Amino acid sequence: MRKKFVSGVLGIVVALGLGAVIMLIEGFNPITTYSALFSYSLGGFYPLTTTLRNSVPLILTGLSASIAFASGPVNLGQPGQLLIGALFATVGGLYIHLPAPLMIPLLIILAMIGGALWSGIAALMRRFFSMDEFITTLMLNMIADFFTYWAISYPFFDKTAYSPMTPQIDKAGWLPEFGNFNTNILVMVLVFVAVWFIFTRFTAGYEWRLTGQNSIFARLGGCKIDKNYVTVMLLTGALAGLAGGLVVMAGPHRFLKGLGANYAWDGVMIAMVANNDLIGTLLYGLFFSSLQTGAVGMELITAVPSEFIQVLQSVIVLVIVAGRGMLDIVLDKTQIKRKARERTA
Amino acid sequence: METIIEMKDMIKVFPPNVVALDSVSTDFRKGEIHAIVGENGAGKSTLMKVLYGLEPKNGGEILFHGQSVNFKDAGEAIAAGIGMVHQEILLIQEYTIWENIILGIEPVGFLGRINRVQARKNVQAKIDEFKFNLNLDDKIEDISVAARQKVEILKLLYRNVEVLILDEPTAVLTPQEIPQLFSELQRLRDNGKTILFISHHLDEVLALSDRITVMRKGKKIATVEARDTNKEDLAKMMVGRDVLFLSKREAKQPGAVVFAIKALTYIDGNKRKRQDDVNLQVKAGEIVGIAGVEGNGQFELVNSIMGLTRPTSGQILVNGKELIAADILERRKFVSFVSQDRSKMGAAVKASITENVMMTHHRLNKQFTHWNGALLDYRYSRQFTRKIEEQFGVSMGSMDNPFKSLSGGNQQKVILGRELLLDTPFLLLDQPTRGLDVGSIEYVHEIILKMRMQDRAILLISADLEELFRISDHIVVLNRGKIVADLATEKTNLEQVGYLMLEGKDKEDAKEIR
Repeated sequence: MRKKFVSGVLGIVVALGLGAVIMLIEGFNPITTYSALFSYSLGGFYPLTTTLRNSVPLILTGLSASIAFASGPVNLGQPGQLLIGALFATVGGLYIHLPAPLMIPLLIILAMIGGALWSGIAALMRRFFSMDEFITTLMLNMIADFFTYWAISYPFFDKTAYSPMTPQIDKAGWLPEFGNFNTNILVMVLVFVAVWFIFTRFTAGYEWRLTGQNSIFARLGGCKIDKNYVTVMLLTGALAGLAGGLVVMAGPHRFLKGLGANYAWDGVMIAMVANNDLIGTLLYGLFFSSLQTGAVGMELITAVPSEFIQVLQSVIVLVIVAGRGMLDIVLDKTQIKRKARERTA
Repeated sequence: METIIEMKDMIKVFPPNVVALDSVSTDFRKGEIHAIVGENGAGKSTLMKVLYGLEPKNGGEILFHGQSVNFKDAGEAIAAGIGMVHQEILLIQEYTIWENIILGIEPVGFLGRINRVQARKNVQAKIDEFKFNLNLDDKIEDISVAARQKVEILKLLYRNVEVLILDEPTAVLTPQEIPQLFSELQRLRDNGKTILFISHHLDEVLALSDRITVMRKGKKIATVEARDTNKEDLAKMMVGRDVLFLSKREAKQPGAVVFAIKALTYIDGNKRKRQDDVNLQVKAGEIVGIAGVEGNGQFELVNSIMGLTRPTSGQILVNGKELIAADILERRKFVSFVSQDRSKMGAAVKASITENVMMTHHRLNKQFTHWNGALLDYRYSRQFTRKIEEQFGVSMGSMDNPFKSLSGGNQQKVILGRELLLDTPFLLLDQPTRGLDVGSIEYVHEIILKMRMQDRAILLISADLEELFRISDHIVVLNRGKIVADLATEKTNLEQVGYLMLEGKDKEDAKEIR
């Protein structure tokens, strides 16, 4: 645990250092750039709440990927599941009218059903045609992309708009805001805690984890691995779907083109950086969100383009993932040297 | 005799803190057969791998013909004249013997084509030189394991090595094949080759070698002349104390039939009969051993019993309950299972020790869960792990450490603990002592015998005939998926079982046993 923390912090520091070198080569001042970056993401109530709000889809899709990868299924369908979840929540918000205390949970559930439906299709294809979810979830991403594009261009198109988007959902389905503090973060925290408990304390989560580590051992131990596979696919789909639903309910309150942005792929990346660790996913999700949120401010103050953040993110991913292996090698080497010296002395 | 290889103060560390070689110094002479013996983990294989360039050394010096050498890989070692035959045979199955032998140093003719005539002539010359009984056009897949091993040796001789290292060469052979290998090795020695061989089996070592180096826990204990020592002394040096070679199986009247297989047949996807009308029963308080050369249906038998494959026909019964269609969890209520491969089937090596111990119990034992099985009781699981640690004498750091942090013997103790505490009437043990050192093997045997006294029915599959003779009441011989003999241990001997394993039938003159 401590080693993980050290390698994470070290990785981030090294990556920021490498970023500084790139900036120097490009002729920018790294200190003013970084201080702009972090003051616009962490410095004060408004920046901080924006970072939190933006972290929600990152963390939820990251959680989806972490749980899937740690349990075995290579669910790479978070982008599609997010879009379908968002569409379900939107359509529910357009046609159902209930008071907020009922409306909000209903839309959340609809979003999760949408995501689970989309990952469920992949699970069914594996069950009946032995198709690898690695391929099917990726293909379903494309279908979801164009299907939702069609849905917001034709059946649910807002006739007053100039570009593909739906009308706004019923106000009862908007997540309440306090100042700039959006309650989507509360929903995320609740879901995170519940999922963490299931994954680490429940029998189901234990079986998922051990199946992810050694499926034949789990199978011989009496775990129903086929059933668990389906459950994990549905759960991780639901999490990605929820991310989509919350984007709609917290933000534009409608489904507009490009809604999913890069959230889901960033989530997958976060899961990899966190090595599928749930707490790690949460922390890296917050960190990546602070980078992305601060990018806008950085661009405003300095001449560094906000795209630079993508470079920085990639460097962080590479440094941390490579560093994880490297740290072990270095520790081993020093241990060998010490032992060998003890023997010859 | 002149010294050909000298190893001085060899050190090898495997992180985090395994010192595999602890200042080991030894020498090998030209034209001798030198055995290296020791328990698993004593460092014998490591010593050879360091010599051969497969593992980098962390200290010490190797002199070959008086010159300091440091091979970076096996290729350099072979070029210098040192070759190694590994336990697993590394030949291309679909190629013929001569094709395998010339691989990598093919004589090439016109336009870079292999000069087949020349190649076959060269290989035949080597076969003749060393009088190997091999036909150079046979394909590897068609010849016996013993012949494959000869091909591996020939491959090195073809490359003109002076020193041959053999890693447990007899492990894959049947008792009948061993003397032939030995006479070939002796002939090679008489031709001036130096042979270093690793072994567990003291009888072989004494029969074959000129000198013996004994290792224990990464240290060299002694190098002795074979004619000046005996089995008991060697065993004592290996384990550091006296070892019992005899069975402590107490007389016991077996009870009712607990486990039965009836007319089990399994035909695989390639229409091969893997299981051919197998009938078997195990009574309470009885150990039935299954002998057979690997690949004669043991794997499929285990998979059928455990529910990993569905047999074509037949019945599997425990206490009269039909299990052929039951799911694995249902079977686990009656069957405890120790697999031959700890890291592939027996454990999740990266998960914690506790999490490995909980497996199966978490479904069958109510105390491990609350809320009708939904929530795990980690505190109880930890107490349970503690119980296994104490009851089975496991030495572990923290039970939250990954399973792989345990040594092989301790891993097996944890697995045995988990399985035996399931309290099932039937135990399926698939090579439970594979890869363990002598001390751990002894312990595992004790446990198995204790289970016998507790009236459990035990089916033991083993590649180690001595093990079967030591603890089982009955020995059943499996050949090509068929049971060819069911013998009371007292009424048979190693030779008879070995012959049955190979030939699938009794020797004509085997009726009168000594």
